[in-house]
Amino acid sequence: MIWRYIIKRIFWMVPFLFAVSVVAFLLIQAPPGDYLTTYIAKLGESNEVLDQASIDNLRQRFGLDQPLYVQYFKWVGRLLVGDFGMSFEWRQPVSDLLWSRMALTICLSFATLLFTWAVAFPIGVYSAVKKYSIGDYVATTIGFIGLATPNFLLALVLMYIGVVHFGTDVGGLFSNEYKNAPWSWGKFVDLMQHLWLPVIVLGTSATASLIRIMRANLLDELNKPYVDTARAKGLSEFWLIMKYPVRVALNPFISTIGWVLPNLVSGAVVTAIVLSLPTAGPLMLQALLAQDMYLAGAFVLLLSSLTVVGMLISDILLVLLDPRVKYD
Amino acid sequence: MTKSWPVASLAALAAGALMIPVAAFAANEAPMLAERVAAGDLPPVDERLPNNPEVVTPYEAVGAYGGTLRRVLGGSNDHNSILRVVSPQGLTRWKADFSGVIPNVAESWTTNETGSEFTFRLREGMRWSDGHPVTADDIMFYVEDLLHNEEFYPNAPARYVVGGEPMTAEKIDDYTVTLKFAAPYGTFLTELATPLAQEPVLWAKHYCSQFHPTYNPDVQAMVDATEAVEDWPGLFRLRCGEVEAPNRWANAERPTLDPWVVVGDGYDAGATQVVMERNPYFWQVDTDGNQLPYIDRLEMNVAQDNQAIVLEAIAGNIDMQRRRISGLANKPVFAENAESGGYEILDMINSNSNVMAIHFNHTHKDPVMRELLRNRDVRVALSLAIDREEIIDIVYQGQGEPWQIGPRPTHVLYNEQLGRQHTEYDPDRANELLDAAGYADRDGEGYRLLPDGRRLTFNVQYTGIEQPDWGDALEIIDEQWEEIGVDLNISSVERSIYYSRGEANEHDFMVWGAPGGLDPTLSPRDVLAVHPQASWFAIPWTRWYLSGGSDGEEPSETMVERLALYDAFKQEADQEKALDIFRQIHQIAADEFEIIGVSLAPNLVGVVNTNLRNVPRQIPASWMYPDPGPTLPQTYYFAN
Repeated sequence: MIWRYIIKRIFWMVPFLFAVSVVAFLLIQAPPGDYLTTYIAKLGESNEVLDQASIDNLRQRFGLDQPLYVQYFKWVGRLLVGDFGMSFEWRQPVSDLLWSRMALTICLSFATLLFTWAVAFPIGVYSAVKKYSIGDYVATTIGFIGLATPNFLLALVLMYIGVVHFGTDVGGLFSNEYKNAPWSWGKFVDLMQHLWLPVIVLGTSATASLIRIMRANLLDELNKPYVDTARAKGLSEFWLIMKYPVRVALNPFISTIGWVLPNLVSGAVVTAIVLSLPTAGPLMLQALLAQDMYLAGAFVLLLSSLTVVGMLISDILLVLLDPRVKYD
Repeated sequence: MTKSWPVASLAALAAGALMIPVAAFAANEAPMLAERVAAGDLPPVDERLPNNPEVVTPYEAVGAYGGTLRRVLGGSNDHNSILRVVSPQGLTRWKADFSGVIPNVAESWTTNETGSEFTFRLREGMRWSDGHPVTADDIMFYVEDLLHNEEFYPNAPARYVVGGEPMTAEKIDDYTVTLKFAAPYGTFLTELATPLAQEPVLWAKHYCSQFHPTYNPDVQAMVDATEAVEDWPGLFRLRCGEVEAPNRWANAERPTLDPWVVVGDGYDAGATQVVMERNPYFWQVDTDGNQLPYIDRLEMNVAQDNQAIVLEAIAGNIDMQRRRISGLANKPVFAENAESGGYEILDMINSNSNVMAIHFNHTHKDPVMRELLRNRDVRVALSLAIDREEIIDIVYQGQGEPWQIGPRPTHVLYNEQLGRQHTEYDPDRANELLDAAGYADRDGEGYRLLPDGRRLTFNVQYTGIEQPDWGDALEIIDEQWEEIGVDLNISSVERSIYYSRGEANEHDFMVWGAPGGLDPTLSPRDVLAVHPQASWFAIPWTRWYLSGGSDGEEPSETMVERLALYDAFKQEADQEKALDIFRQIHQIAADEFEIIGVSLAPNLVGVVNTNLRNVPRQIPASWMYPDPGPTLPQTYYFAN
């Protein structure tokens, strides 16, 4: 049964992704001008002149002189054989650029996700069970501050404090000596030493909102008759809460998995820029700004595929964990 | 540095006097290379140097080997930051004071009488970074197999085209090549010193020819095997690099003539750090015969955000840099942390003329506006109605002085009228001029009316993300112009939209920094309608000029005269005569008064490690003089 459901969902992804490719292509083309306009503008900033001959050469080389539909089919045709094309801006193959960023992006995103869950879950449960206690108020206050503070601002403040008061190196995921070194135990330790800052910065607002969601959901459940019944039957308070109401209240955690995957690419772009993280977000932003069509297109496609896959995964998990959810 | 005037100069031959034959003393090398020689990985230093290496006199003192120079790249697409510190190694280069060109990769040159043929003598025994000799064949490879190849260059780059004919080359012997043009090209030697003119000696024939169908009949197989590459020029550029692209720094195998060469992956999108190490075959020595560079490694971290680079600077993690952090607003925070960060503030002479020039559109599509803007008295009135001192105090921290456009006062081509006329604040006189010009009628709110009854309103845009200060300045100008009954609508737009508007000739006026303060002959776009993207005061005129009269709109009489002078300038080989031609151009521009400005561009700031030596205290900051390159970073060294 569930396999049929999964196969059906995957089958529907094909026309969906095709539609996405059209929309993505048109969206990237939508702003006035093309890559060359931005390129010329960029050169103009340093008072540099690009002569008409060179502009014509580049336009011809990148195929920007051809009609839109020709450009589109050229792009899609090559996508089908797994060729993402050449980035205009980097003049390097798009796939190299893409994958060189993905490993650390995934690592950072999952670390953030684990941090978020590890913090939000117990605090959320605690503040629901001990409603209106001092601990609840503290958690709520911190939660609202976490929600209200822009991540990038928090990053800048922490970096400034780090530089001026502690003299630590800031930004990036590695110390200088490990930046280009091959993987080793030392490099791993170094990564861990740098990872906590972006993880906290990126995780605060998600943690705060999950605490609120967990608390609200659990409060709804705690007053239901089945809780009283279980309590009357003499189940210990801890097991009672963990086994029934928490399991029901867990649904939002599972649903977030669906957003986690696309967030790998597009999440927290500004924060990543501020912290100089070598993740996919800043590269995608730059590609979109520069109208670097193939690179931006690859990102948008990747993003859409990940959204679709992520949603599928969280739907399946929901079905597995909550017997009330049906999959037809 | 006081006077700078960059142009091809026969005086460059005088530089030959510096070249003492090095054979008189044995050359020395860096310890890290001596180890490799001892291990048998590298030939001895005397065999790696040219027979006659260039002897460079260090700025302060002969230095010591070792150390790492740390800089920060600004995110993706900051490849020109690498170019600036490695320095463009072309046939010629700027003198350190930006006052002319001297031989670089070429040992010397001669020019024929008309200035259409240039014979370059290369350094015998000079080697690429992989140890292969540099010969005339490398230049011939560029000219014959690339420049004249229509698949590689469907249109030859304008720099190498004169009178519609691309440059040709003749090999005299293994170390001598003559480059020939269809007509005189007096500025060619200067042109070769500009940051993007290394093509003749950028591509090593022995390495790059493997990507060229003439030399490798199987190149198509390599193209097919390489992802995302469609044709051989694509493969060639990917592996062998091109002048204005990051891929130039992404292939550690590519032989170069630079003081440092890329190690590892170099500069690609995944890079968090670009590392370069000394080129064991670098072809310059100091006056004691020590092979340059002194510094072993360049270490360039990649930071996406300019504020993060400022943080790195105040933490003392940058040894020398002004790129991306050169705004005056950073000066206080730099000064505050200088001691703890172990750096000094670097004073960079702005090569720009004006922080913000106002390009009135002389070719406005609306005939009423065109008549208004072409009226010199109106422009004078608009200039007189700006209180520049107020703008400088409020927006530019008091740094600067009232200024229009043109060469800076220290420059040999300085024209006082062009720079300082009508900069005084005199709203009464401005009102009189506008009344007399036929714009005396006003509406109920006190704004002047155009002859067809519309309010006299200028719509102006600026690129607020890159230049928020222009928005501040325009707001003040808006208030000041209200006093003379002129309305201003200001809005911030994205940069490429800004450029599209300009190209479509849809603007009343545009604002941009005025270049040409120290490089007036290289960036003449404010006095000559020659830049199709930035001579905003008359874009259709630039099209007319560049298309030879078939496109665009015929310029004003005086502009036609100036453009003819400019053509003569480009051909003139005698530098004094060439200067005089430019003086005429500036005088005509001063009389025409097409563009106005706000303030002389103030100096920029950077940071330099207190232990770093041989760094001039004042460096021109410019694109054409790609600082700090021409100050020869290969001679920098760390004391202690």
